[in-house]
Amino acid sequence: MRAAMLFPAAVAMALAAAFVPCAAAEPVPAGPAGTDRAASGAPRVLCGVCHPDVRVQFEQGVHSREGFDCTSCHGGNAAAATVEAAHRAPFRGTPKRRDIPALCASCHADLAMMTPYNIPADQYALYLTSQHGRRLVKGDESVAVCTDCHGVHEIRRENDPKSSVFARNVPDTCGRCHGAPPPGSPEGAPPVEGSPFADYQAGIHGQAYLQQANDSAPTCASCHGSHGATPPGVGDVDKVCGQCHATARGYYRDGPHARAMREGNGPECAHCHGNHRIARADVALLDTACAACHEPGSEMLKVAGGMKALIVGAREEIGHAHAAIDRAAAIPLYVEDYKARLEEAHTALVQASPIVHALDVGRVEQLAERARGIAKEVESEIDGKLGERWWRRVGLLLFWFYLGLTLAVLAVIRRRAREEPGG
Amino acid sequence: MAPADPTPARRSLAAWLETRFNLTEMLAFLSSFGVFPAELDTTRPFREALREAMRRPLPSYARWPRVLGLLSFLLFLFLVTTGALLAFYYQPTESEAYRAGTAIVRDVTFGWFIHQMHRWSARLLLVMLMVRLWRFFFQGTYKAPREAVWMAAVVTFLAATQADLTGRLLTWTTTGYWTTVRALEVIHALPVLGPVLMFLAGGTTPDSLFLTRFYVLHIAMLPAMLLALFYLHFNGVRRVGLSHAPSESRATGETARVQMINMIILAALVFGGLVTLVTLAPTPFEPAADPALTPQGMRPPWYLLAPHAIIEMTPTMLPRWAGGLVVEAILLLILVLPFLDTSAGRGVRERRVAVAIGIVILAIWLFLTWQGYSLEVRR
Repeated sequence: MRAAMLFPAAVAMALAAAFVPCAAAEPVPAGPAGTDRAASGAPRVLCGVCHPDVRVQFEQGVHSREGFDCTSCHGGNAAAATVEAAHRAPFRGTPKRRDIPALCASCHADLAMMTPYNIPADQYALYLTSQHGRRLVKGDESVAVCTDCHGVHEIRRENDPKSSVFARNVPDTCGRCHGAPPPGSPEGAPPVEGSPFADYQAGIHGQAYLQQANDSAPTCASCHGSHGATPPGVGDVDKVCGQCHATARGYYRDGPHARAMREGNGPECAHCHGNHRIARADVALLDTACAACHEPGSEMLKVAGGMKALIVGAREEIGHAHAAIDRAAAIPLYVEDYKARLEEAHTALVQASPIVHALDVGRVEQLAERARGIAKEVESEIDGKLGERWWRRVGLLLFWFYLGLTLAVLAVIRRRAREEPGG
Repeated sequence: MAPADPTPARRSLAAWLETRFNLTEMLAFLSSFGVFPAELDTTRPFREALREAMRRPLPSYARWPRVLGLLSFLLFLFLVTTGALLAFYYQPTESEAYRAGTAIVRDVTFGWFIHQMHRWSARLLLVMLMVRLWRFFFQGTYKAPREAVWMAAVVTFLAATQADLTGRLLTWTTTGYWTTVRALEVIHALPVLGPVLMFLAGGTTPDSLFLTRFYVLHIAMLPAMLLALFYLHFNGVRRVGLSHAPSESRATGETARVQMINMIILAALVFGGLVTLVTLAPTPFEPAADPALTPQGMRPPWYLLAPHAIIEMTPTMLPRWAGGLVVEAILLLILVLPFLDTSAGRGVRERRVAVAIGIVILAIWLFLTWQGYSLEVRR
């Protein structure tokens, strides 16, 4: 079905590939930056005559629009009419993988050339510090070079949604090496089990970014960087996570785990939450994650269990209060104020949760008890109001009893008035 | 008038007051609102005049079907009383109206009771006035010499709808606000009358000043107008006498005293009914009005649904005021009905055609009301 849907698009692409070069070949040849070569009589680029598909790709990219042509990277003579003349020195042909970063850097490390585009010129330097760059220098050609992520001829701007490095496409681009199904797998096959890409997709970050389109969730580059792509070292994980989870990191640094970490042997974020397959931050982790290191029945597990009980208790109490509000709203009673107060309780609970990172039972207790207290108060006040409704009905019965008496008296008075002589 | 011959032997409070006020005239004035059934001889001392009046046999009063006028006035009195209590706490500004309204219902002791009493009394009053008009029509009560009584009843109903409409906005709740907006759209489509009313209200959109004007109309001008209309009505009834169906015997032998007791029983029953409704069927809480957010399914109040249907169902080739003109023509016809139907008979058998027309009109009105209820506003 997917193939069937893609078919018309493929036809359109093929047609475009067939016609665009013919239509555009003469009037708009590529040329040096900032000039209109059709007007200035600059040399024509004839490479597309033999390489039409490459030319179509190239013209989709940003480099053709900025006035570069095939010779900018490949050398040779673009205006030559014969293959021999065109491929004459200084013709470079297809650059070797290990030469590609340096070739790109010949422009992209040039500060004077990059500044007008507001593109940083340090990407090559960053690349050389990355795992990719370090291994390439050592002769490992299996690592990513510029073209693996940015494309070869069709290099698009980073903010172009069709670009392979556009934020939304980053997980797929990294996933091409870090977990994509092996070549020959059927279309739509899941990534390799246990690979970073598969784990990211299954984790809360990937769920949020890919499934819920939450753009504030991180992609690969958010934690690893892009050109200087390097896994954060053990001591640096809390710094990376703390860029977004500042509160949790703050409490973590106050706690005994961070102290142990500074002394060289302590857990950081990923120990409990995982790295690529990140689990939803939930009190249930206090059961599973803590028990991974601490002995059953140990003092530490009691602390974890205590914090969990406090948070769960407050959460349940808030749930009861919500149910009471729903009951009252159905009657109807005015519940907006109660809802606002319950928000306060919820805020206290939200404040209490990250304090578990400091393992500070006292502070967790203080906030959880506040949340619980507010929720209990709301619940009992609503119960009071529901009781008032019952009293209203009792009042109505009493009222009718009294009214009945009054009516009976009136009926007697009326009878006497009728019997009155002369009446 | 000179005080009646004071007898020094009887030193009662009534006698003391009698020498300083004309109590007979005061009570006679009250009888013009239907709360005292008999006529008083204002030239005689109070006790004497009262005793005489109480013993006088009267045509039946404070009994079906002549209770509707009296019930309406009783409800009006409830509305004035509860309205005054509500006004102690209410603040007619855009920012405070809703807060004040919820505070009355939630925080003020028995505020919910007063507020709901006011609401239910208003609903019942409108229904009562409407039913009364239909009774007048089907029993031929509008015929000479009761043309003015009929016209007073029609205008009373119209004034009461306006009092209801102005009151709906005061709560500044979503329904109150948007019902008013829908009602204003209907009124705006009435040629001449619509623009004049809109001019008096000071615009076509309910804003803060609009709310203040509605408040003044609601608590001062319309109640005064209703009071005057009730006075006109009961005064007219007293002058021309209660109407009686031809089959009914005029003298029931009931004295005014019995009628007074009947009236008190009636008032007690109305009060009991209201308290029951208020306790068992209170109006739900609603969110505050947001002028920038139109909720779906907002309609004009029920009495404007038929005019709403007529105006909205006017063919698009005609101007919008054409429908409004039809509504105005119908209103005028209702008002001058006594002068159009001048035949003498008042019994149902003598006016078969008129009764048939009335039933058809009632059916059409119900149909249009249903139409207006289910109509999507055409824009």
